[in-house]
Amino acid sequence: MILDPILDVFRGRAITIPPLDGAFRANTGLDDAAVFATLPGADDLCRHASGVLASAGRGLFRLRTGAAPEQVETHPAPISAIAASGATLAVALEDGTLIENGAAVARPDGVSCITALAYGPDGALWLTNGSDRHGPADWANDLMERNSAGSVWCRAPGGGWQRVAGGLGWPFGVLPDTKGAVVSESWRHRLVRVGGGRITPVLRHLPGYPARLSSRPGGGAWLTLFAPRNRLIEFVLRENHYRFDMMAKVPRAFWIAPAMSSGQSFLEPLQCGGIRVMGVHKPWAPSRSYGLAVRLDADMAPEISLHSRANGKRHGTCAAIETEDGLLVASRGGGMVLAPNAGEGA
Amino acid sequence: MSFRERLLAWRYNLVPDHAIGEILSKRWTDNAIPFLALVITVAGFGSAIPGFFKLYSLQESTRQLGELSLVVIGVTVVMLGGGIDLAVGSIFALSAFAAVSVFFIFELPTWLALAAALATGFLFGAINGYLIGFMRLRAFITTLVTLIIGRAGYDILVVNFGSRVQMSMASSDLWDFIGDGTLWGMSVPVLTALILAIVSHVALTRSRPGWHVQAVGGSRRSAHNAGIRVRQTVFLTYVFSGLCSGAAGFLFATRLSGAGPGTGHGLEILALTAAVVGGNSLGGGRGSVAKGLMGAVIVLVMTNGLIRLGYGTGTNQMVLGMLLAVAVTVDIRWLKNRHKVLNEVYVAPVYLKMGEPLSAVPGSGTPYELNNRLSVADHIGLGELEGPEDVILDRDDHLYCGTRHGEIVRFFAPDYTRSEVFAHVGGFPLGLAFDRDQNLISCVGAMGLYKITPEREVIRLSAETRRSLTSIQDDARLRDPNDLDIAPDGKIYFTDSTKRYDAHDWAVDSIENRGTGRLLVYDPADGSTRTLLDGYRYTNGVCMAHDNKSLFFAESWRCRIHRYWLEGPKAGTAECVIKDMPGYTDNINRASDGTYWMAWLGMRTPSFDLSLRHPAMRKRMTRRLPQDDWLFPNINTGGVVKFDENYNIIQTMGDLSGLSHPMVTSMREHKGHLFIGGILNNRIGRFRIEGANPAWDANDAYWGKRS
Repeated sequence: MILDPILDVFRGRAITIPPLDGAFRANTGLDDAAVFATLPGADDLCRHASGVLASAGRGLFRLRTGAAPEQVETHPAPISAIAASGATLAVALEDGTLIENGAAVARPDGVSCITALAYGPDGALWLTNGSDRHGPADWANDLMERNSAGSVWCRAPGGGWQRVAGGLGWPFGVLPDTKGAVVSESWRHRLVRVGGGRITPVLRHLPGYPARLSSRPGGGAWLTLFAPRNRLIEFVLRENHYRFDMMAKVPRAFWIAPAMSSGQSFLEPLQCGGIRVMGVHKPWAPSRSYGLAVRLDADMAPEISLHSRANGKRHGTCAAIETEDGLLVASRGGGMVLAPNAGEGA
Repeated sequence: MSFRERLLAWRYNLVPDHAIGEILSKRWTDNAIPFLALVITVAGFGSAIPGFFKLYSLQESTRQLGELSLVVIGVTVVMLGGGIDLAVGSIFALSAFAAVSVFFIFELPTWLALAAALATGFLFGAINGYLIGFMRLRAFITTLVTLIIGRAGYDILVVNFGSRVQMSMASSDLWDFIGDGTLWGMSVPVLTALILAIVSHVALTRSRPGWHVQAVGGSRRSAHNAGIRVRQTVFLTYVFSGLCSGAAGFLFATRLSGAGPGTGHGLEILALTAAVVGGNSLGGGRGSVAKGLMGAVIVLVMTNGLIRLGYGTGTNQMVLGMLLAVAVTVDIRWLKNRHKVLNEVYVAPVYLKMGEPLSAVPGSGTPYELNNRLSVADHIGLGELEGPEDVILDRDDHLYCGTRHGEIVRFFAPDYTRSEVFAHVGGFPLGLAFDRDQNLISCVGAMGLYKITPEREVIRLSAETRRSLTSIQDDARLRDPNDLDIAPDGKIYFTDSTKRYDAHDWAVDSIENRGTGRLLVYDPADGSTRTLLDGYRYTNGVCMAHDNKSLFFAESWRCRIHRYWLEGPKAGTAECVIKDMPGYTDNINRASDGTYWMAWLGMRTPSFDLSLRHPAMRKRMTRRLPQDDWLFPNINTGGVVKFDENYNIIQTMGDLSGLSHPMVTSMREHKGHLFIGGILNNRIGRFRIEGANPAWDANDAYWGKRS
């Protein structure tokens, strides 16, 4: 209505979230997927010359078909991101350390929150720094403080670190190409192209918090979203008094905030739609966590998606990669790596 | 507590925000806008025109007002029935002419003149009614046609016979009295309008034909499906309107003793504007005679006032037209948005700082530690039952529970695989108890306190208590009767959880958190119901203490248990005996070992507890988010707590898997087993209690062994 902008001053702006429609139409692709490996805390995935590697907690694991993951490295701090190019392997730790092929290497000044790593086609190493103010484990604080203090950095082969973009709301995935890189900006629910000193949105109004990106062999990419957008959370993000009170008085696991998994404790917040009625938990109930992997075409337009809905457990999907054997999705909340049949998505 | 928080507490606990929603949900608020318009109009013209309130000018105005009111009442009834009557102007004129010609030309008595006027009104009303009601023609076009034809007929008659009327020498005291006299200071038209207004108001609101008219106007199809004769009802509204216009025409004839070319000209616009300005909906079904009268006063004061202020007919018509436009717009916007406004403002949260609870987290080492023991309970009626809030067993071990379909279901001992509908009550049967004579007494949500005899006869015991003095919404009726227990003298103590929400919206009451829960007593000796306690935040379970000298009741949203004393030095008072539990307290029942079982319907969460200290945030939440997204207390996890006479917590059991008994609203011990119900669950659980007396039956404990 024409009067809405005036009325909004008195009654507050409507809180709307994008619907799960079109390529995002809900299905049970992840809930029905085969478990490729059980790996508590499974976070990031990469293709290495030695096979598919997965990070989980402080360990780096090699995934094997039909066998338990083999632990290949253990680090003093939890791993926050991994990337590989051929036999070159980069590992970032939550304390900010960046390791390349087993040796610590220089990282940009002030960067201590490496959320994603990727090698470009020219061999350049890209990294995203989630926030200047928090480490990777404190992402929820960064969101609740409504920071946009993230940055993207690039190290050309043989060169030094260059800051490509700043002022981003928790960049959580990077996909380098010949023209620069596409970065997922979680707090703003969008993908942006960085490079040439500019930030250009390429995909906006995502229905969740985007996480890591990975290229597909035939062009295009896989994007995962680790949590859904939720009207109550967006409402709390506008309620300053309540939010800061909550951050001060309530343990973080029980905040009204996105989560990697939910429904573990009776102390977690519950929304009306999430009430179990007659033994049924509605799949479309509002939820703090979700599992969602999206296939993007070469123009970064979503094609199909795979879901683990509110009544599922395979939430907190932070990485997906496509290998010769098929698609693998790491679910941090579910503690497993899934091998969904990508053709089943809608 | 910070200064800001203290300020918030005062603001939200002392200012009665809930009154706005309660006033808005009253039907009489529909009258507020027209009444305001009435006051403004009368005050405005009264101050602008000197001598406006002088007796003579009032007298003249009121005669006119009486006539107009009669017409407006007729139009109002037609509009209530979903129609429109434009023909009133021509019916009025023709009736006036009929009266005048009977009296002056045929020189017949006054009462025959009245009869002629009424007959004319009846005839034209019947034509309209027949065409619209039975022939199903459009009301607007049909009455427009009768308006034009009637008008033309009148003009022909006046031209041909007008002079004969003027030359007549007929006179009558009665005629002059009606036209000029007053009775108890009131003119005859005003008196007539008043009487008709009262009669038609009573008929519309309190008689079968009146209800039929409103039902037809509200929804023709529903009225038809309900067995109302829609066509006949519509026909009668036009006949009524015709008769009203006829009567008004007669009064006009006596007042002016003649009929000129302009008689009744534009009356249909005047009457229609009055009816709509008064707040009668053009869509039908909503309105009242009072509104019509208010509209009549507004319109008449305005037109007469404008004339006396020196404005011409053009201005007058213009103002009327604009008034009509404004009224129609307001009517439609109000009708469309009223429930939205009501939805937005109804929930009016208050401030509460809950006490810090002992943890119920497994491994925390407190007596409240939850576990998974209830998850092993056998299930009864899985998939057949919906919403067994309370469960109870009779002396033959049969199991009874309510369902959300308003039924009491009985499962047969010993294996509880067969079941039958024991009785259909309606509403949502919640708390259950057996009395001395094996009657099943139930608190039925949204209905009241009911008794079901062993012969399955359903008898209402109580549906209301005394209304409190400060209530806006009628709080005499029981909105959410929840649980009960019966004293040895037969008195039934029961709770009514909230005055603000209906039974099915019980969880929304937790967001508002206003203390409106009551403890009541029903006395079977004289059938009276009394309110014992008021102002608790969702009173819930009730249980007589083992010695019957006091009773326990739960206050859910404060996670407390209170004890109300029936005898002894503290008789008639309540005290809080267990407070700050980590879960929301529900039904309480006796245990075989002299202690008590109590259910937790849900668990407190830190985020919700904190939101109770932010009432403004909760209010904005209810206004901006759809209900599915509101923050609720965690009612997906419940439990069973056992406490003793000295309020020590002995045992806590739960179902952390959330698969069989996520929420527990009741439990009943019977012969060594615990039966578990949940208002949102689809089963009853049966759980073997270790160490319990395998012979203990609550019926014996309450009423002695079967004789």
